[in-house]
Amino acid sequence: MPLPAETTPIYDAPSERAGPWWKLHRVEDTVLSLVLATMVLLPVLEIALRSTLSVGVANAAALVQHGVLLVGMLGAAVAAREGRLLSIAGLGRWLPERFHWVHRAAAGGLAMAVTGVLAHAAWNFVAVEREGGNLLAYGVPVWWVEAVMPAGFALIALRLWIRSGERVADRALSLAVAAGLLGVATLSATATPVVALLALAVLLGAPVFVVLGGIALLLFAGDDLPLAAIPLNHYQLTVNPSLPAIPLFTLAGYFLAEGGAPARLIRVFRALFGRFRGGAALVTVLLTAFFTSFTGASGVTILALGGLLMPLLQGVRYPERSGIGLITSGCSLGVLIPPALPLILYAIIARQPIETMLLAAVVPAAVMTTMLVLLGIWRQPRDTAPTPFDPAEALAAIKAAKWELAIPLVTFGGLASGLVTPTETAALTALYAFIVEVLIYRDLSITRDLPRVMAECGLLVGGIILILGMALGFTNYLIDAQIADQVSEWVQTSIASLWVFLLALNGLLLLVGAFMDIYSAIIVVTPLIVPIGLAFGVHPVHLGVIFLANMELGFLTPPVGMNLFFASYRFGTPIGEVARAVLPALAVLAVGVLLITYIPAFSMWLPNVLLR
Amino acid sequence: LRLGTLAPKNSLYHRALLEMGETWKAAQGDGSKLIVFTDGAQGGESDTVKRMRIGQLNGGLLSVVGLREIDPSVSALQTIPLMFRSWEEVDYVREQLRPAMEKRFFDKGYVVLSWGDAGWVRFFSQRPAAAPDDFKSMKMFTWAGEPEQMEVMKALGYQPVSLETADILPALQTGLIEVVPATPYYALAAQFNGPAPHMLELNWAPIVGALVVTRKAWEGMSPAGQTALREAARAAGEKMRAQARTEVDEAVAAMVKRGLKVTRPSAEQMAAWQALAESVYPQIRGRLVPAETFDEVTRLLAEFRARNK
Ligand code: NA
Ligand code: NA
Repeated sequence: MPLPAETTPIYDAPSERAGPWWKLHRVEDTVLSLVLATMVLLPVLEIALRSTLSVGVANAAALVQHGVLLVGMLGAAVAAREGRLLSIAGLGRWLPERFHWVHRAAAGGLAMAVTGVLAHAAWNFVAVEREGGNLLAYGVPVWWVEAVMPAGFALIALRLWIRSGERVADRALSLAVAAGLLGVATLSATATPVVALLALAVLLGAPVFVVLGGIALLLFAGDDLPLAAIPLNHYQLTVNPSLPAIPLFTLAGYFLAEGGAPARLIRVFRALFGRFRGGAALVTVLLTAFFTSFTGASGVTILALGGLLMPLLQGVRYPERSGIGLITSGCSLGVLIPPALPLILYAIIARQPIETMLLAAVVPAAVMTTMLVLLGIWRQPRDTAPTPFDPAEALAAIKAAKWELAIPLVTFGGLASGLVTPTETAALTALYAFIVEVLIYRDLSITRDLPRVMAECGLLVGGIILILGMALGFTNYLIDAQIADQVSEWVQTSIASLWVFLLALNGLLLLVGAFMDIYSAIIVVTPLIVPIGLAFGVHPVHLGVIFLANMELGFLTPPVGMNLFFASYRFGTPIGEVARAVLPALAVLAVGVLLITYIPAFSMWLPNVLLR
Repeated sequence: LRLGTLAPKNSLYHRALLEMGETWKAAQGDGSKLIVFTDGAQGGESDTVKRMRIGQLNGGLLSVVGLREIDPSVSALQTIPLMFRSWEEVDYVREQLRPAMEKRFFDKGYVVLSWGDAGWVRFFSQRPAAAPDDFKSMKMFTWAGEPEQMEVMKALGYQPVSLETADILPALQTGLIEVVPATPYYALAAQFNGPAPHMLELNWAPIVGALVVTRKAWEGMSPAGQTALREAARAAGEKMRAQARTEVDEAVAAMVKRGLKVTRPSAEQMAAWQALAESVYPQIRGRLVPAETFDEVTRLLAEFRARNK
């Protein structure tokens, strides 16, 4: 899930006061922020009413779940407006400047065609739902909210077209490309030409969701199944009762990252660990890991912390390349650290309790972190004089950051207390992060920063949810065509030993991690491997930990390694250079993956002890 | 023919459906194929109905939770607490309501092939409890997919916590919920008896289901195929109903071996339960269950009880 070819810094306001439409764009951003705010406040209100008056908001959970659908579509539309839909940076980079308009128009046209078909399929889905006539709450029919899907896809298609070129001629070309793709898809007896065109679209830098959605559309059409199944899968994913935790924790992470939390936390960690040899490395690994666990997007961590941690490392004469390697790889550790978004997503898809999954990841995350810390310390030049420990400074630093240091108490206290559900915990964490950064530290201004930060979070979440929904469409085909069953049977007949299976699994996941972004991988691969794992006696929770540990490596391996792209962008270093810088980290993390794979107790011990 | 169900693979329900499919295929002839998606592989009950609407699935074995998305009148069979006292009562009322309900389903585009049951819902709790008031201090699970159930629980004076079914076990373990209403068969399979080792022997409500196919799929079959399918489905339904009657006792026996304590309410407590349930009937009637269906059920039950005195 790398940055698009033409990157805009992630901390820029989603919409500048520019262009003829900027006022309308501001309205759009505001609506997005308001939906997010409602998703935070509704569960909190529900907790308050439930614990005081023993009543609640009618259908509060369902309202929040449909909020995810709204945030997803609105955020994706904003991302399309800003040209920030996640895409695999493509061939365009190697094309000479003067040919850029061609690849832009081609990629835009192909993306527009797929999105247009999605809009049409979504329209059909909503029409059928309207006849079904189910109500959401307070007499509002569900289809009113579902209608955001055709509208959103249509808007995204329009924006893909607008962004497909600067000149009228460019946009006419992209329109012709779109018409051509649709024509070929309608007329051609085989899927091959369309597949080839879609593959071309990927190479040219079309958004990831277009590729997944396009393939899903093609597969469903090929089996004479209704295309409306794809928007239905998107809907089914977004209204999953556990999914609201994802935007809510991400919002908490954004408040922290955009507030002064990075600087305050660095000060605390420096004061505590600075006296050790390798203290700076320790600080780097722990902080990047902690931040990614909240933002869920390791790229955001690289952008937010990279600039602060690099001077810290260079201050202790840490080699530059090792420093880049350490920061880049440290940001992937958060994947296994509760409440990381991938952990929640895996639990949802594998139908495992979220609490069990979060607890199971604690020890393995510590193993992976320790491996990287040891590497970091080993790399530290020996001749640097350690800073002496200053108790007064340590105390002052802790005091200054006390509210942020208390965040794990809010999150895990909520989960362990038995008073609130995981979604409500996420809402409380987001509200707490808001109070800390906006009201207590006043690092974010309500009028100036808040709308920008919330819209930015909505944009990121929208882009991810769109990919997730399309990936689920693809997965649904694998289930529908009973391919999942066949794969499972084949593996069980051809592999006899658990050890061989686990080794083969690690190899496969390494490959998956090299080519897929983590979110699509979870949605597509999880339903395939869980039944196979069960047949070999691997608990789905342990399997999830193995899976995500492998995905940590995937962040760091080309061709699709999200951290490589972000680090290359942040440090102004070529991707190949960053890929070489993370090699040592990749090696030690691979050892960590093997430990986690072959010692199930790492994963299963904590949930077994705590959840008896 | 593509059917979806929440029933597990290789369960009695799954095997009954496959067996039915063989009979149907023989009659329908070449090119006919039956695929059963088990374990909610195509989504929950509500998703299964949505997939039938768009035409991705042609049918499903659903409980009232899914069926009432097609027509709310079926709610009368499952969502009214303590309305029915025995399977005989359920069977009698269902037989009487069937023609009208099946007609409504047909008008909405679905053919009901057979009806089945999946046992009685009972309360599994962490602490022993027998009277309605014993439960008022405990937090009770309600399914996130069924907000109406939450309203009923609130109206009864309980503290419902709405969760997904996957979250029940850890929620019981951490104390987020203390009571789970579930059929003994499901409680056994999901191991609720560990953290909630007390069961109240009170038949709160039956779980009722049906096998439906879309009218479009039905009308696409040959007359021979239709006849064979209807006959085979009826046999499968009978098998499922017979199973539901024995599995409650079998599951309870299995859990008692693992330490389940069964609490039997006294006559006085039973009366209190009945009074409590009846106190929310006005809220259920007209909102969760169409008023005329509700009245019909009440009338039929009175009739049945008068005759069997
Ligand atoms: Na990779
Ligand atoms: Na990857």
